[in-house]
Amino acid sequence: MTWLHTWFGLVLGYVLMVAFFFGSLSVFDREIDRWAIPETRFAPQVMPSFDKVLTPIFEKMAPEEEELAAARQRVGGPLPDVMPLMTWSAYTTHRDPVLDMYAEYAITNNPKDPFDHVHGHVTIDPRNGKLLPHDQLKIGSEFFYPLHFSLHLEWMNIGYWIVGFAALVMLAALVSGIVMHRKIFREMFTFRPKKQLRRSVLDLHNLTGVVALPFHFFFALSGLTIFASIYLPLSETMMRPLAERHAIEEAEKSGLAFAPSGVTAPLASVDAMVIEAKRRWADRGMAGEVGFLMVSHVGDANSFVSIYRAGSDRVSRVGQGVHFSGVTGKVIREEPAPSAVSSVNDFLTGLHLQHFKHWLLRWFYVLGGLMGAVCIATGFIFFVEKRKQRHGVEGAKQARWADAMAVTTVTGMLIATASILVANRVLPAELAHKGEWEKAVFWLSWLAALGHAAWRGGAVAQGRISPAWREQCWTVAILASAAVVLNWVTTGDHLLKTISTGFWPVAGFDLALLGAAGLAAFAARALRRRERAAMPSQPAFKILAESPNA
Amino acid sequence: MSSFAVKPREILSRIAAGVFGGYAFMWGFAMLCVAVGVFAGVDYDEALTFAYLLAFLVYLTAFCWAFAEASLTRVWIVLAGGGALMTGAAWLIAGNLH
Amino acid sequence: MHETVTTAAALLSSLFGMAWLALAMRVHWAQVRDAEPLTASAALTLRIMGGLALALSWVLCLQASHATMAALVWIMSLAGAALAVAQILAWRPRLLAPAIVWLRPTAPAQKQ
Repeated sequence: MTWLHTWFGLVLGYVLMVAFFFGSLSVFDREIDRWAIPETRFAPQVMPSFDKVLTPIFEKMAPEEEELAAARQRVGGPLPDVMPLMTWSAYTTHRDPVLDMYAEYAITNNPKDPFDHVHGHVTIDPRNGKLLPHDQLKIGSEFFYPLHFSLHLEWMNIGYWIVGFAALVMLAALVSGIVMHRKIFREMFTFRPKKQLRRSVLDLHNLTGVVALPFHFFFALSGLTIFASIYLPLSETMMRPLAERHAIEEAEKSGLAFAPSGVTAPLASVDAMVIEAKRRWADRGMAGEVGFLMVSHVGDANSFVSIYRAGSDRVSRVGQGVHFSGVTGKVIREEPAPSAVSSVNDFLTGLHLQHFKHWLLRWFYVLGGLMGAVCIATGFIFFVEKRKQRHGVEGAKQARWADAMAVTTVTGMLIATASILVANRVLPAELAHKGEWEKAVFWLSWLAALGHAAWRGGAVAQGRISPAWREQCWTVAILASAAVVLNWVTTGDHLLKTISTGFWPVAGFDLALLGAAGLAAFAARALRRRERAAMPSQPAFKILAESPNA
Repeated sequence: MSSFAVKPREILSRIAAGVFGGYAFMWGFAMLCVAVGVFAGVDYDEALTFAYLLAFLVYLTAFCWAFAEASLTRVWIVLAGGGALMTGAAWLIAGNLH
Repeated sequence: MHETVTTAAALLSSLFGMAWLALAMRVHWAQVRDAEPLTASAALTLRIMGGLALALSWVLCLQASHATMAALVWIMSLAGAALAVAQILAWRPRLLAPAIVWLRPTAPAQKQ
């Protein structure tokens, strides 16, 4: 079990670090979006009028170019001239000033997949229906958030598989960690910062692992169940006949047509349906706003409209769906209360995706995520420290390599994060493909951090602290403060203004950046003191004698 | 545990058993859950969700066990063999559902 | 307003609960009360008080929000409280002294 914990933890720890850190940032992804796209710094809006605002925009939407290119590859040739509309949908939460709108278009000439389709996506200002420029990258919800579960490795979903495996390793590391640790309750509150580095690092590793154990466990597990259909594609492979038959039967039973009829028909007033859905929610004693709205088989006589309640006051994201005939506007079906199994699943999904309105809990999630990151980082340092003490070339080489990677994943990741924010404020808004440039800055600065860590790592082989830690800490401190200053200079939204007007999405993120800068500077100074003290490694036997776990 | 840390080939085999054998076992388990569930009259989606909720805990158990069990042969037989057996059984049940 | 107050009370209750559970251990007791030994009865009292405080925290969480949400808030408040207590014990253990001010110095001689 120790072997499993050490080696799988080391190798997948780099991935877990990304998942935990960017997952923590994703708790405030919408707020980071506001920071990065100043035009959208206004109050959250409810779902606007479908008939007046959304329909004209939906009608003008088109499939994304990249999706069309991918579809051409799947089909192995040109796509049909007409791609029939399948669905329109819109999703919003209590934190969204802007509204995301999606459309699906059928690809009718793929013999391998009769349900093949491509997507269109726009973001609008719901107050006036104006489109947001496509080039603007939502750094929170479109970059950090997907990074934490897909690593932005799109090819064959490989990123999802890597992160999924890392989540399994996280669970296994928790189980094996408990087995190895044994004194879970007796040492639950034990942290001895003044003891030797190896001891205090291990204390911190145990503390952050044990104290937030339920958080770590359920986030790794729910991360897996959320993407279960990717990891276990039963319905798409061996269970496909059963799945399709069930879908058709289900459509018959519920009255929600599985396929379009082929007869065109206009769409009735969706606004009237929204009013009826809200009335039904209020009758059930859970009045609320619309979270998700979807029109299936758009423009067809079989079309239906599904309206889901935003789960701001619940753990589950959306629910209480009411389905209407798209043609008559009459209710076809009101979803019954979910079964026990679905409730558990909705709860697990909802607790991870956290679209509820509870700011304390959101901050607790950040704390939990950062404790996860600390747990992994201290695991790295413990690994390095243990090998630093060992005599012989093999141990030194292992230590140097692992340390450079640890620097890259800890401070290097922070540098990349701060760099994309600085780039966001420095690059002009009119720059073509601005988002692509920002992403490039992110990856290149991370790569530079790796190069720097590898170059400065010589000290580790001699049993000392790599100066890369300190130098990168200073870089983080400078970049994070620069981001705050640049936000002020380029938008005029300085902290006094955002705090006094109570615009917390931007004020909160600025404060978090300053906090991070302060911590990084503090860490850099502490590292300096340690380096000055320049204690060369103590002989191995002394540590062995002190550490009961060795 | 320490016995297999000696031969690199055995380490690789054990890792493969934990990762791929464990996955095969989870796959078979999930298939069987759905097939048996639907056979017993449970709604397909319901059975699938149930399988998804348990599948990763099954994988976790299989994965950890692959590193705790002394006999590597037994690990392979139980995980890969068991996975294949459950998948086959589920396949037969699903094929006969009408 | 009601919700904020109840949640704050729940957090405080978690914090005290964790502090008492920690101080029921000899190592941590010694960090706050130096040489004075931890009697078995004091340890038991602290453990019971700790458990009760955590239970109270759960009840308060339930008062503040929907049961499913309350479960998450409570679990995370335990994590936060345990981390806070561990950090206090590491850097400023004396800050916990007020939490056990009601436990009189228990020299066995006084009891008799």
